[in-house]
Amino acid sequence: MLEDELRVSTRVIGNIAVIDLVGDVTTFAEAKINAAYQEMSQNGAQQILLNFRQNDYINSAGIAILIGIVTEVTRNDQKLAFSGLSPHFQKIFRMVGLSQYAKIYQDEQEALTDLQDAATA
Amino acid sequence: MHNGQTSIELIFPSILGYEVVARRVVATFADFVGFDQARIDDLKTAVGEACINAIEHGNQLQPDLPVYITSSYDGHRFAVDVSDTGTNPLAIIKEPKTIEEKLAGAASLRGMGMMLMAALADEFIVEPSAAPGNTVRLIWYQREVAHT
Repeated sequence: MLEDELRVSTRVIGNIAVIDLVGDVTTFAEAKINAAYQEMSQNGAQQILLNFRQNDYINSAGIAILIGIVTEVTRNDQKLAFSGLSPHFQKIFRMVGLSQYAKIYQDEQEALTDLQDAATA
Repeated sequence: MHNGQTSIELIFPSILGYEVVARRVVATFADFVGFDQARIDDLKTAVGEACINAIEHGNQLQPDLPVYITSSYDGHRFAVDVSDTGTNPLAIIKEPKTIEEKLAGAASLRGMGMMLMAALADEFIVEPSAAPGNTVRLIWYQREVAHT
């Protein structure tokens, strides 16, 4: 079913809350992404990494969900980053301005290393 | 690789989710005629947005109103027409709201579809259909053309 095309799970690595997004990011993803973000925030997360995997498709509704997360992150004085984006997703994120508000890393490991270094600096 | 004139047609109901079916069909057609993956990725996103516009805005989410897609290729030009059958004209957004305005709460978080279509296609046209409704025409060329 199309509604099941995004799987969302959460992990904590060091002081970084990782939200894994596997699949398509569309309007059907809103409740899952927002619930994962709220769970991590309520647990005190200050650094949040949205880790994308096997993502074939994002649409304007999916982008709107991510802009909503940026709004919340800004309001809660948290730090947001993206990793694992395909070249097409990176292009879209730059096009709509998301890359101005969250650093884009090539992969999860690069993101974790840089974010942990920044936190201990 | 297909070098001659060829086309496909698709009709689907105005139910969100069918845009995924449509973009997959059109992407498969683009792959069949020899487009590269980067352009197919652009095409998939733009076609998905055109279909969502047709479903949500043109046809107002009325499932019995069909969305028509015609996609054609002539060896150089790949065109996708997405037509709704509603009576609600699509609003042309000349200056889409920026992410700064959205974050400041001065604009809806939605509303980036037109901007994405205009940015990802070589040509992007919205016009009334001959019958009631709107047609969004998206065009890509085998070789990049300069945006004016």
